Amino acid sequence: MANLNIDSAKERTFDAIVIGSGISGGWAAKELTDKGLKVLMLERGRDVKHIKDYPTTNMYPWEFKHRGVLPMAVQEANPIVNRCYAFGESAAHFFVKDNEHPYVQTKPFDWIRGYQVGGKSLLWARQTQRWSEFDFEGPARDGFAVDWPIRYQDIAPWYSHVEKFAGISGNKDGIAELPDGEFLPAFPLNAVEEYFRKHVKVNYQNRHVISARCAHLSKPNQIHLDQGRAQCQERTICERGCPFGGYFSSNASTIPWALKSGNLTIRPFSVVESIIYDEKKGKASGVRIVDTNTKKTEEFYSRIIFVNAAALNTNLILLNSKSHRFPNGLGNDSGVLGKFVAFHNYSAHIGAEVEGFEEWATDGRNPAGGGYIPRFRNVYKQETDFLRGYACGFSAYRGFKHSYDGFGEDFKAGLASKEYGPWRVGSHMMGETIPKETNFVKLDDSKKDAWGVPLLDISVDYDDNDEKMKKDYIEQLTEMFTSAGFKNIQPSTNHQAPGLDIHEMGGVRMGKDPKTSMLNKWNQLHACTNVFVTDGASMTSTSCQNPSLTYMALTARAVDHAVSESKKGNV
Amino acid sequence: MDRRTAIRNLALVLSSAAILPACTKDNPTAHFKHFDVTGDQEALIADLAETIIPKTTTPGAKDLNLDKFVWLMLDDCTKKEDQQAFFKGMDKFNDLTKKMYSKSFADCSKTEKAAILATFEKKPGAKPTGRNPSGKKDDKPEKKDELQAFYGTVKGLTVFGYTQSQYFMTKEIVYELVPGRYNAHFPVKNNMKA
Repeated sequence: MANLNIDSAKERTFDAIVIGSGISGGWAAKELTDKGLKVLMLERGRDVKHIKDYPTTNMYPWEFKHRGVLPMAVQEANPIVNRCYAFGESAAHFFVKDNEHPYVQTKPFDWIRGYQVGGKSLLWARQTQRWSEFDFEGPARDGFAVDWPIRYQDIAPWYSHVEKFAGISGNKDGIAELPDGEFLPAFPLNAVEEYFRKHVKVNYQNRHVISARCAHLSKPNQIHLDQGRAQCQERTICERGCPFGGYFSSNASTIPWALKSGNLTIRPFSVVESIIYDEKKGKASGVRIVDTNTKKTEEFYSRIIFVNAAALNTNLILLNSKSHRFPNGLGNDSGVLGKFVAFHNYSAHIGAEVEGFEEWATDGRNPAGGGYIPRFRNVYKQETDFLRGYACGFSAYRGFKHSYDGFGEDFKAGLASKEYGPWRVGSHMMGETIPKETNFVKLDDSKKDAWGVPLLDISVDYDDNDEKMKKDYIEQLTEMFTSAGFKNIQPSTNHQAPGLDIHEMGGVRMGKDPKTSMLNKWNQLHACTNVFVTDGASMTSTSCQNPSLTYMALTARAVDHAVSESKKGNV
Repeated sequence: MDRRTAIRNLALVLSSAAILPACTKDNPTAHFKHFDVTGDQEALIADLAETIIPKTTTPGAKDLNLDKFVWLMLDDCTKKEDQQAFFKGMDKFNDLTKKMYSKSFADCSKTEKAAILATFEKKPGAKPTGRNPSGKKDDKPEKKDELQAFYGTVKGLTVFGYTQSQYFMTKEIVYELVPGRYNAHFPVKNNMKA
């Protein structure tokens, strides 16, 4: 139990505590320490120091014992995380293994997690688009979830703030549904991507193909060099951790920056059991953790608490933070905690062949991954029989002509052929899903993890809206590919469980009304205003853009508010 | 030599030591985690791999230890049932060569070996187990008969090992770890064989 020695309590008291060290936790720590606060960052996993703890980052492909393939024993022991594209021999050490951190799947959910300092910021696919007015207006306009308590103009300056520091590559495309940001030079589209961009521009109203926007230093500014980062080397082995800091991660950017201030203490191996609520003061007073090495419970205290444990774990912590005042979880007067969880629908793809463009190929690797088609369905008005819409990845590629038929001398020579084959194009859908009360997480009190914390029970699934949207994606992309003259168009769908998109959001949603939401417009718990939630849990709806950039912006904005309110004595 | 290289080289020595002593023909000579292998079986895989990737003016499968890579991947990265099917397929392969030429694959001439392999090539091509060379995970590997699966596995892993070998990635193509580059518009002047 907690040691109540007064001196020790003083040592365990900070101005602010940040729970989690991933994308949003890193930003909370940076912004808080920038403002002079003494901050404790709690991380349930081990420490991962930039460069030093990237064991595979400089390995050549042939240096991996199994050339990247994981041993079958590891694959079979990890059926869930094994479905993630990046779970291979070069990055498996940054993923949570299934059996170490169990959870309950009342409905199938592929929960992909990274428990270490830096969290999933080491592993993300680094696509960074702003959300637009259409996204923040969405629930109110289309009548689902609850109205966002903020609009685009509230967050726009904070997008700029985080973009300048993180380093986002992109073009100013002038598209209302995908607002421009503070960009470093974009990675260019290749010949076929450029052709399709022009084709769509000429032939479709309000549809666009742009160069994907990504968190890579295509050309670093001074602020990036000051962080100790360098230009992206276009290696595209980012999931191993980048020794150049070429892409944005907490490890390369926000955490070392916060440490440099002298105001940050990082405590790894600390599973947060609950947030402590002080009934007399009417606010949270600290955080109770279990040290994963000693299994001992300890308490830390602060006047501001940021919860950035990643969407579903943030839900778990709040649900498990029970008190006389909050018997159903911290701040949960409304009963909506854990509900209205949503995600992104990534379950359709389409590929095709392209004739021509033989005078062009590409050389090297594109860190941005190619093109991006912003949402074009139901943007300005409701025009289909499903709600909301989808963005699309789009890329074209051309490889060498390698036949895998045959054997012997000619076959061997053919494997090294530098003769180019035809161009191919591919796309995948990224659909918005609708938050619903029936998609929820809750605690399973009958089952506990190794640290005595109840397991999370996840009930999240697709619905008819998702099926209709998927069908529309296939139809629209088939039509666009056909009109562009692409051949042998092959759509495909899969039945991947929610979760594999790694964009789970909600459960602690923002809203204007404390009766129907958990957080106010500053990401403060309505009912416990010194606790802030700024990770994916806070999302009222999911948009179809990648969410990480929005977490960063909301976090920086919330810290600014927290510190200013704290100075006024309101927090 | 840095520490990591030293440890890695040590690991390679240790792992290959397990499969080196091929003394007698029929007794198990190599012990893996999941199975034992006879000298004949080792020789068969080496010959098959060499037939697929022969020594020319450049190194072949035996020079590059691709047969050892096949065994390593079969042992470490292959499902138990696929390992069992592999050995059944291997027996059937031996039956086939006996049937075609009344001798073992090792004793066949180059032309005879080629004729045997040609019978497999009429059927769908080979993929390595677990991941194909493009790096994608195979959700549902095709169900093939054991004989075809055996050939497919040997061929797939041999090709995978070859195209991922240090030799291939430094001499045949040039894999650049750092710096990489991206030229979106790379002109193809003369699309001919290099």
